[in-house]
Amino acid sequence: MFNRNRAAILAAVILTAAFLLCVWLRMKYTWKPVWAHGTRGWRLTYDISFSFTKGDKIQIAIPDSTPNSRLWRETFSHEGILVDLLRNKRTRGRGASAVSMPGHERGRFFAQFDIHLRPDPQSKLPAAEEKISANDRAYYLRNEKEIQTASPGLSNILKQLSNQKITKTELLNHIFDYCAENITKGQKGTFSDATNTLEHNVGSTLGRARAMAALCRASKIPARLVAGFILENNQQAQVHYWVEVFAQKNWQAYDPENGYSVQLPITFLPVSRDSIDIVRGIKAPGYQSRFSIRRLLPPPSLSSSQERRLWSIFDLTGLPPSMQEIVSMILLLPLAALITTIFRNIIGIQTIGTFTPGLIALSFIHADWRTGTIVFVIVLCVGILARIILNKLQLLMVARLSIILTLAVLCMVLAVAVLDYLSLTPSASAVVLPIVILTMMIERFNIIAEEDGLPNALKIFATTIFVAASCFLVMKVDWFGRTALIFPEVHLLNIAILILIGRYSGYRLSEIWRFRDVTQTPPG
Amino acid sequence: MVRVRKLPFWSWPSSLRRNGIMGINSRNINIIFALNPRSNYAMVDNKALTKKLCESRLIPAPKTYALIQRFGDIKKSTDLLFSLPSFVIKPTRGAGGRGVLVIADRKNNEFQNAKGEVFSLEQIKYHISTILSGLYSLSGQPDQAMIEKLIEPHPAFKELTVAGTPDIRIVLYKTTPIMGMLRLPTKASRGRANLHQGAVGVGIDLETGITCGGVWRDRSFDIHPDTGASINGVMIPNWTNVVKTAIQLSKAIALQYVGVDILLDAEGGPLVLEANARPGLSIQIANRCGIWPRLNEINIKQGLSRVRQI
Repeated sequence: MFNRNRAAILAAVILTAAFLLCVWLRMKYTWKPVWAHGTRGWRLTYDISFSFTKGDKIQIAIPDSTPNSRLWRETFSHEGILVDLLRNKRTRGRGASAVSMPGHERGRFFAQFDIHLRPDPQSKLPAAEEKISANDRAYYLRNEKEIQTASPGLSNILKQLSNQKITKTELLNHIFDYCAENITKGQKGTFSDATNTLEHNVGSTLGRARAMAALCRASKIPARLVAGFILENNQQAQVHYWVEVFAQKNWQAYDPENGYSVQLPITFLPVSRDSIDIVRGIKAPGYQSRFSIRRLLPPPSLSSSQERRLWSIFDLTGLPPSMQEIVSMILLLPLAALITTIFRNIIGIQTIGTFTPGLIALSFIHADWRTGTIVFVIVLCVGILARIILNKLQLLMVARLSIILTLAVLCMVLAVAVLDYLSLTPSASAVVLPIVILTMMIERFNIIAEEDGLPNALKIFATTIFVAASCFLVMKVDWFGRTALIFPEVHLLNIAILILIGRYSGYRLSEIWRFRDVTQTPPG
Repeated sequence: MVRVRKLPFWSWPSSLRRNGIMGINSRNINIIFALNPRSNYAMVDNKALTKKLCESRLIPAPKTYALIQRFGDIKKSTDLLFSLPSFVIKPTRGAGGRGVLVIADRKNNEFQNAKGEVFSLEQIKYHISTILSGLYSLSGQPDQAMIEKLIEPHPAFKELTVAGTPDIRIVLYKTTPIMGMLRLPTKASRGRANLHQGAVGVGIDLETGITCGGVWRDRSFDIHPDTGASINGVMIPNWTNVVKTAIQLSKAIALQYVGVDILLDAEGGPLVLEANARPGLSIQIANRCGIWPRLNEINIKQGLSRVRQI
């Protein structure tokens, strides 16, 4: 006869073997990162320490992948601050936003970016045409404190450069040549704004870049400054500045100091656009930043072909870092399911919904748990209260659920807005709760309260939160997320364990308590 | 609240095993998955189907006055409702007594429940429409409403009845009764005879039909928690017929492990209320005895090997 228990054990053994095989194959083939021929690796390190006053919001610009460079790994560590990654709406540049943690006056931000440079752009297609809105165009033509577009000196130079009838492109070339040739690099302490640099024909790197930007803007060519690094071995890397000009439907880079135009060498790594500061927003004095760049040695076995290997599909660490974060979060969900299964089938704790605890825990992973809990409690209370009031109307179920969903959404959004207004929550890390799950939870709570009484409802509610908290504590351990990302096959092992639990017919832990009275009288 | 006995805080699994206690995991894996085919659940999950089955097999059940399947039928039920002195409206797929409306009396155009609350015809029709739309069905799916005869409970249970109607649960394995329990609604259970809602379960000796000890909220109890009356030594009237009815129904249903709920009317006639494909396990506490030994006894009688316990 077909023995299901034996079949289940066999399946679990096969899955475990498959898991081990996958790990072995991975070690053998995909463990080493794939470096195409000619690829060069660089590690850029940020080490920024600062003291702050309460309410400071610090923005740190960080690099991103470009057509020529690929950011393939980044690690962050920080002390005394809460950090969020975000993108600038206008420039699409990446940044880390940091706020002080309560009770801390000093903070430290430490980050490592591993960057692969490829001699030929990854996409062979011509650069896509970019569009610039009228608003942005006006923005990039603006008169700034240090990029003055209306000084008499500047008008004279422009008149000289455009004395004949010339096209915009020719004018741009003249401007670049002027800044590269006629303006000389000054000593330390020289001019760093456009007007003075143009007047004295001498300026710092920044001054020359600003002079060029000012000339462009005055000629109605959108221009912006770029701060970045030149990748070369350097323990004390200096921030370098150059200009990006919107011409021929693209942002083109010009470096008047080194004389590069339209395209820069691939070792030029842009970090911050339209703002010359890598670190912004610190009001208190005493901030130190150190940037260092080090070449990464290629692995001993270099891939000889430039083609991408098929099995890199299975290497999730090759995904862009921002996607890695999401993928590792998704990969944690089965772990939460496993924990919930153990609680329900082996320990014998009831929960509202099967995946409710895991999903609640997941929504807290990348949020501040204190504010998250506040929002969670508010949404639940309003939902349960609304449900009690709605009960008087005796609405049909679907309509009732939809109303509760709507209220939960409004409530959550409002709570997040209020918390932000009171600056209680670090920007963008406000908890985004699984609203649908929450709605069902509110509904179940009320039904149980009605059917089995409020004490029972509170009990099952408390156990659900307990299981969710357990899931959260386990998922919060970075190691699990990282391991699942490097070895996604670990979930084969997860299935194997779940199969075994699914065939576990022994007593649940709660049953040695539940049935304790039966064993007091002799059987029979 | 009177604690009857002082008892330790837990039992070791080995002790549970020795007593033949069936746990939930074991019930699901070794009994329900193995013996109760899912396709036959519909017969017990839908009370209208169970009742149809009873009627065709001449198994006694409360008389059904009407089965309302469509919203259009609600209007037509007016005459029927006014012709009845008392009745019960229940959803066919409800669980735990939800959506059950008991009308015990009618004065002209006003219907009254047992507590004396007054309902108009419109309110009753609205209640039926909410049943049809699935307000009380388990997954919120559209449902049907049954209008049934209100059964006067047997006077033998008068002292043990605080609210609602007591009923008898009999668990049958391969059509042989293995355990029985009298279920007494309490104030805590709000008149419902469901153990996990707070009703008392009283173990019944299958041979004699005499009660012996009980369970309330998973604890051993010997008295009714509301009245303090002893729940031991109560003789279930017409016991042989009760058991016979349960066996009849279990033979009709193609489920090998089933719980049958039976009501005793004022004359002592057993009436089938419903059947359950996954009967609860607290019945073991009520009877102070595990299910496994009784189940294995039947297997041995039939020449089968014992079902694995753990």
